[in-house]
Amino acid sequence: MPRRIVSLDLCTDQLLIELVAPNRIAAVTHLAADPAVSAIPDKARGIPITRGNAEDVLRYDPDLVLAGPFGVSATVDLLRRLGHNVVVVPLAQDLNGVRASVRAVAGAVGASARGEALIAELDRRLLAAVPPAGTAPTAVIYQIGGTVSGPGSLADAALAAAGLRNMSVAYRPARGGQVPLELLIAKPPDLLVLASNADEYRTALADNLRHPLIRQLRQRGASIELPWRYWLCGTPHIADAIERLAQARAGIKARRQ
Amino acid sequence: MRDIPGRLGLEPSYLLAALAAMAALAFIMSLSVGPSGIGIDAAGEARTLIFYEIRLPRAVLGTLVGGALGLSGAALQGYLRNPLAEPSLVGVSGGAALGAVLAIHLGLSHLLALALPIGGLAGAAVAMLAVVALAGAHGGPVTLILAGLAVSSIATALISLALNLSQNPFASVEMVLWMMGSLADRSLTQLWISAPFILLGCALLLTVARALNALTLGEDAASSLGIDLRRTRLAVVAGTALSVGAATAVTGIIGFIGLIVPHMLRPLAQYRPGLLLPASLLGGAAMLLVADVALRIVQPWVELRIGVLTALIGAPFFVWLVLKTRAELAP
Repeated sequence: MPRRIVSLDLCTDQLLIELVAPNRIAAVTHLAADPAVSAIPDKARGIPITRGNAEDVLRYDPDLVLAGPFGVSATVDLLRRLGHNVVVVPLAQDLNGVRASVRAVAGAVGASARGEALIAELDRRLLAAVPPAGTAPTAVIYQIGGTVSGPGSLADAALAAAGLRNMSVAYRPARGGQVPLELLIAKPPDLLVLASNADEYRTALADNLRHPLIRQLRQRGASIELPWRYWLCGTPHIADAIERLAQARAGIKARRQ
Repeated sequence: MRDIPGRLGLEPSYLLAALAAMAALAFIMSLSVGPSGIGIDAAGEARTLIFYEIRLPRAVLGTLVGGALGLSGAALQGYLRNPLAEPSLVGVSGGAALGAVLAIHLGLSHLLALALPIGGLAGAAVAMLAVVALAGAHGGPVTLILAGLAVSSIATALISLALNLSQNPFASVEMVLWMMGSLADRSLTQLWISAPFILLGCALLLTVARALNALTLGEDAASSLGIDLRRTRLAVVAGTALSVGAATAVTGIIGFIGLIVPHMLRPLAQYRPGLLLPASLLGGAAMLLVADVALRIVQPWVELRIGVLTALIGAPFFVWLVLKTRAELAP
């Protein structure tokens, strides 16, 4: 059973922290303790932080390295050539992907029972959020720079699980991408989901969130803020996002009646 | 004194009227097209919002920014007597973007909205002075372009440094935003904060018309005609910094408009730098508006950035201009 585990990806950080005792974790990324993107910043506090390059990882003499599919392939190759055990956990793009990620990490760290317990808890919460029959209200996850979450993303799966129809398809045939504000105003969704609030990022890229029309749209129709930490990673905490969305969906129904 | 009309020369008032009509037409087109397909004649509340809060700021900004870029290009070419001078090529736009990025990431624009255009024009002024100092008063076209390249490179490096240090998870995307400008989804707020500076800068640049005409005879001759060279330099530097600085602060760098427009209009303006100024103001506005309309009509799967389009048109033009200049400078 590995006892000096290093994680190189925000998503594997969180899965690892949920699955094993802290004394078996050698290091995680700095993002794990960042409340903007991590669902469990408090649990991550106190765990050593790795910069993520091979030399830094070797300092911890890990017996298992967990990595995500993006941005670290050179590091992963190098660590493997040096004889380290590296497990690359695929990105979860739907709820089955979340279950698979949990099982992949749980299997690698020897915590299969704990993994199955997390999945059972996730399934219980998903069942509670299952929408009543009837037409699903439409929703859009509108982000910095005017991008929206499209079909095939974890966020899209979360909308569906909460009984909402992702309207991004109506704006753009392509997956993801940017939606001009004009289209959002011409065909507003029943629920506007904002991934961050207007003041969170002081960058020119977030100007779209500060546009007066977004404020107006929020005053007129239903909207919620669903911070990234809830849905950026495919961990069992995706249930937090789904519960919030389901609550907002119920609110729309109530408002209509 | 009456000029000998050029081959393509037009009566100045006709030329300006024709360009103004083109700009007006492009302005109306800009109000009429958009991804929602709502036309200028549609009714309803969504249409009112789209019209006044999305398309109007975009069209007015397009007019002002295009005008500022065309005019400052003509003024720089006339004042420096250099066919390759242009705000983005001589590093003024880069300096403006750096100033705006600093204003945003130091939190200044959060405290005071006007800090954004002020940051832009301060950056543009510093870049402009640096280029003039580097190239020297009598440097040739090549020296100026090299100085502009140096200043641009420094500005680009500092913008990426500022974005990196800000721990902004979107740093790389935001870099693209500044390098390849855009008019999309700008609000009335951004229009209000930038318009006064752009207009003031343009007004300043238009005052140097007579001086630029005289300068075609050389500095000594211009001085003897009663032109105050120091005042002219001040007006060109301040006018360019104000107009390009404030424009770039809200749209990012939009290149080549200031290069193409004066070159296209120069024969029509009878090679008179003074007449070329108002002509390039109107022509620049018309050109940027047309480009902005074109990218909303020809919509691929993603919205193209206007800076990408102007660079696609402008860069080959620049190559042609380099070849032409080289032939002229050849011994």
